[in-house]
Amino acid sequence: MTLLIKDEYPEKLFREDGKRLDGRDKTELRPIKMEVGMLKNADGSAYIEWGNNKIFAAVFGPREVHPHHLAKPDKGILRVFYRMATYSVFDRKRPAPGRREKEISMIIADCIKPVLFLELYPGSSFELFIEVIDADGGTRCASTTIAALALADAGIPMRSLITSVAVGKIDGELVTDLSGIEDKAGEADLPTAITWFNEELSLLQFDGDMTLKELETLMTYAKDALTKIYEMQFNTLKQKYIDIQEGINQKTNENEKGGDN
Amino acid sequence: MSDEEEVSEEYNNFEEEEEADTARELVVPGEILTDDIKNFIPGRGTIYSTDKKKIVSLHIGLKQISKNYINVIPLRGLYVPQPGDKVIGIIVDKNPVKYKLDINSNDFGQLKPKNTIKKGKPMGRRMGRPNYRDNRQSRDDFSTDKFNIGDILIVKVLSADRLNKPELTTIGKYLGKKHSGIVITIDPPKIPRVIGRDGSMIKMLKKLTNTRIFVTQNGRIYLEGEDLVHERLLIDAIRKIEREAHTVGLTDRMQAYIENEKVKRDIK
Repeated sequence: MTLLIKDEYPEKLFREDGKRLDGRDKTELRPIKMEVGMLKNADGSAYIEWGNNKIFAAVFGPREVHPHHLAKPDKGILRVFYRMATYSVFDRKRPAPGRREKEISMIIADCIKPVLFLELYPGSSFELFIEVIDADGGTRCASTTIAALALADAGIPMRSLITSVAVGKIDGELVTDLSGIEDKAGEADLPTAITWFNEELSLLQFDGDMTLKELETLMTYAKDALTKIYEMQFNTLKQKYIDIQEGINQKTNENEKGGDN
Repeated sequence: MSDEEEVSEEYNNFEEEEEADTARELVVPGEILTDDIKNFIPGRGTIYSTDKKKIVSLHIGLKQISKNYINVIPLRGLYVPQPGDKVIGIIVDKNPVKYKLDINSNDFGQLKPKNTIKKGKPMGRRMGRPNYRDNRQSRDDFSTDKFNIGDILIVKVLSADRLNKPELTTIGKYLGKKHSGIVITIDPPKIPRVIGRDGSMIKMLKKLTNTRIFVTQNGRIYLEGEDLVHERLLIDAIRKIEREAHTVGLTDRMQAYIENEKVKRDIK
């Protein structure tokens, strides 16, 4: 099922049975599927399908900085290139990087920096390329989530992983993980990201209006959702290696059985 | 040049990474390794948590406990040059005073002409002083005509730190330009697995494929066999080791694999 994004939004963002337009409960996440290490030429890579979002992330580094004048003599630099494909949204997106992409690249870089040991790599750069193939709300959160996976897959030392999710308010109700249409027609949108080594927020943007009490409730919603996604990240990273071990075990079992016969 | 010597030379450089061949726990960055900080100290690839009450991992890797240290052996990662390492480099650029070598690290290595020419011993003594008359420095000692861009060299790291480019030398045993053979690259953290405990894996590979192998710490492996069929088999085997580096009982499995493939490919 494809979601066509039009200028007119539905009047109600909840169905008559109290669920959201895509059939979710208020605090339910969209289905998430993650994978690591599928790009051969990158040092580390990750892919995510979060609802209708489809995003690739690739990490290169540490390596020489080009252009050279960007290099810092006392620490490494992290450069993030968040890009959207022309076909990723309903209207054709112009391919040149725009204001929005530069902003998101910057916030993702600022969000990730606390977990990296950049001071160990003076004069080098880490480059993180994020390609949004299909977009449907919450791409900055999905991008941050897999950026952490790609960095871990590249073997870059990290204090911990980072997880990100958006919470918000639609039709007067507080919800977790806004989809594209809820993001546009809703009242408030609050992307958050957490660095797990100190359990502090590394990203907090706010757009819309809500009371202070509602904000507090939303933060508890966000914490629950982040914990769930963190577990998925853990399992995704390990699954790559567990799959190989299981394949071997299966093979040896088959051989043993064959030997008995 | 004896093959056995090559091996013994190489695996002495690695720390005791290949310990008991038992299943080790897979950990990811930020995963808590232990709460017991009284009995354990963070070793390689680990760090105290922010509240100093736990020890956490920095890498995706395998948890290993040796004495009271907790280490994490990374499964992916970059080669960091250390003085004394033997590495395989490719000349990517040169100017009249130095060569620039790609050594599979975050920085390019530099090779100065004075480090490519072997100086002989003094020819006896003359008037009470060592006589260097027959090996005085000539103009050729300071030009970069000896090697060309694209040459593959086995070099030794003379000095390396975080701030300066690693300095290399081609003077020494087994070092210098390679004229034939194949160089393949694998993940540098998986090199100890290719060598195996006390060189068991590499000895087995050499014996079964009848190929000369030189394994270097930056993840590059030089190999030269009697024909392409044997070299192809060895490359496939090394790729399999790289993929299954975190599993248990690898040497026995690899021996079975090579023997199986030999029958399949009809190799003697």
